[in-house]
Amino acid sequence: MSEQQFKSSERGITMVDINPEGILVDSADEIVPMWRQRFRIFAHNKLAIASVIFIILVSAACYLIPWLHPTNQTNQALTFGSKWNAAPSLAHPLGTDSSGFDELGRIFYGGEYSLTLGFLAGFITIVVGTLYGMISGFVGGVTDTLMMRLLDAFLSIPYLFLLISLITIFNRSTMFLIMVIGFTGWWGNARIIRGDALLIRNLEYAQAATAMGASKLHIIRRHVFPNSISNIVTVATFSIADAILFLSALGFLGLGIQTPQTDWGTMLQAGTSQIQNGFWWEIYPLAAVFILVVVAINYIGDALRDAFEVRLLER
Amino acid sequence: MQNAREGHCYTFPVFTYILRRIVQSFVVLLVVMLVTFTLPYFQVHGILAPAYSVLQTHANPKTVALWGAQNGMNHPYFVRFWTYVTQTFFHFNLGHSYKQNLSVWGLISLYVPRTIWLALSSLVFTIIIAIPLGIIQASRRNTFIDYAATGTAFVLYAMPSFLLCMLMLDAFGFHWPHLPTSPPSGVSPWLMFSDPVAFILPVACLTMLSVAAISRFMRGTVLEVMVQDYIRTAKAKGCSNRRTLFRHAFRNALGPIVIILGLSIPGLFSGALIIESIFNYGGIGIQTVYAATTTDVPTILGITLLVAILTLLGNLLADVALGIVNPRIRIEGTSR
Repeated sequence: MSEQQFKSSERGITMVDINPEGILVDSADEIVPMWRQRFRIFAHNKLAIASVIFIILVSAACYLIPWLHPTNQTNQALTFGSKWNAAPSLAHPLGTDSSGFDELGRIFYGGEYSLTLGFLAGFITIVVGTLYGMISGFVGGVTDTLMMRLLDAFLSIPYLFLLISLITIFNRSTMFLIMVIGFTGWWGNARIIRGDALLIRNLEYAQAATAMGASKLHIIRRHVFPNSISNIVTVATFSIADAILFLSALGFLGLGIQTPQTDWGTMLQAGTSQIQNGFWWEIYPLAAVFILVVVAINYIGDALRDAFEVRLLER
Repeated sequence: MQNAREGHCYTFPVFTYILRRIVQSFVVLLVVMLVTFTLPYFQVHGILAPAYSVLQTHANPKTVALWGAQNGMNHPYFVRFWTYVTQTFFHFNLGHSYKQNLSVWGLISLYVPRTIWLALSSLVFTIIIAIPLGIIQASRRNTFIDYAATGTAFVLYAMPSFLLCMLMLDAFGFHWPHLPTSPPSGVSPWLMFSDPVAFILPVACLTMLSVAAISRFMRGTVLEVMVQDYIRTAKAKGCSNRRTLFRHAFRNALGPIVIILGLSIPGLFSGALIIESIFNYGGIGIQTVYAATTTDVPTILGITLLVAILTLLGNLLADVALGIVNPRIRIEGTSR
């Protein structure tokens, strides 16, 4: 066994040991469980681990700092002589914004809302999308056709137009924003997962299970779902990033989280309106944090896809 | 003779396939109309909500009821929907904008060509830039070029579109003021051709945003194609790397890209919305925001319907184009 075993790192690609059947084995020649295999491939990607740590740190900062070290984020300081648009100083490490709020504290304060919305909306998106895609792909026939035509109809509506219409027509509360982004963002996900379910349903092991008299629910639960989990997890990470981005676009239009709360999109909009005045502290630090967070989430998604993609091992 | 027979076999089912797709598209369109038509019923004031925006301070129960009666709001739901569908399809009448006092069709013909011009030119540049970029990234995997391009695409993809626009505007309109910051704004759709230089910034912004997404997708697709068996066969029979890439990998990777391009039409309109409001370019995006904030329901319905039609048309064209670039799909499509 160990003679056949070779290191794919010698081919300069991934640093994991695989035997010729493509099964990961560790030094004691024991077959490593599936989840640990995937985790190992993921852990070999240093940048992905750095991204995970970065996301955890930013989330911790956004949820803890406004609570541990509260700054004034509710009362505007707009009277003459008060500090608005003030340059960075010891009292305000990143200056103050055009309403007189401490910029550094506000980044964490807004991040609390942006990240919460991103995670929750992304979660709703993936749950609804998975259910819809699984049912559609697995039941098939007329149900599948009907569900897919309905999805086509949804997908042909410009998403941002729909968000704007729904939010202006109904409600601007944070809860409604989460609901709207969550319950309208799953269309693309459903389509990807339906493709997976359709593929797996026709594979030998699913057919064998059917032949042995397994119920449809059993096959979905024990065969289709575990085998499409890679796509589900990957798509979920991208959904979180997309939700944060869509919230920022809504923030630009003034439809994001409403005052006295704020989110990163609304803050960036306020910052970019000051761009010609040279108040760099109102835009670039936040822009850097925002972009890094979204890049990190997207990169984690990419790394997860690589970890789940068995064929990539052969490259 | 053989060729003629084959041609006959191919072309005839392709047309029935297209015909069936068109019928299906009509059904999808009806679903879009049903959804968008039903949503306003759930507003705070139901379908009478526009009355409060139109009548403003004159709104009281009496005037609102009168406005509703005048605008046919008293009819039952299905009668109204039937009128909406028949008026749309048989009279091409999309209704009347309450707020702009203009027929919705007039509004659309005024502003949509401007947005289409913006979206179409950026789509062309996207195709020209993103597809070769994705191929280069995939063929030079894990080299400096790949890392640089992938990194840039990641950052651009993670950037809120308005931030990119504002930074570009600040850079090229303010710090190095070499480019006009706003495209010509006139009512006539032809006026937009009067100053092409002014379109560089908005089109560049829209293009950068979509290149980020499409090139990344192209890279992934080409990488996926490169591990297929037919690529190994091509290499085994002695194809050069370049020939393998362009003759074998490229054509097979085009399929998913064509579909994504077809699906990206609503995204282009959404992107144009942000671009239009930043560069102060009177297109349909700004009109949508205005209509949404003033609950101008017929305008929103009309614009949504139009974009839906364009998207379905894009999907249809994408599928037909897919048949052209990939003969396997053509046969599959006809057999279904």
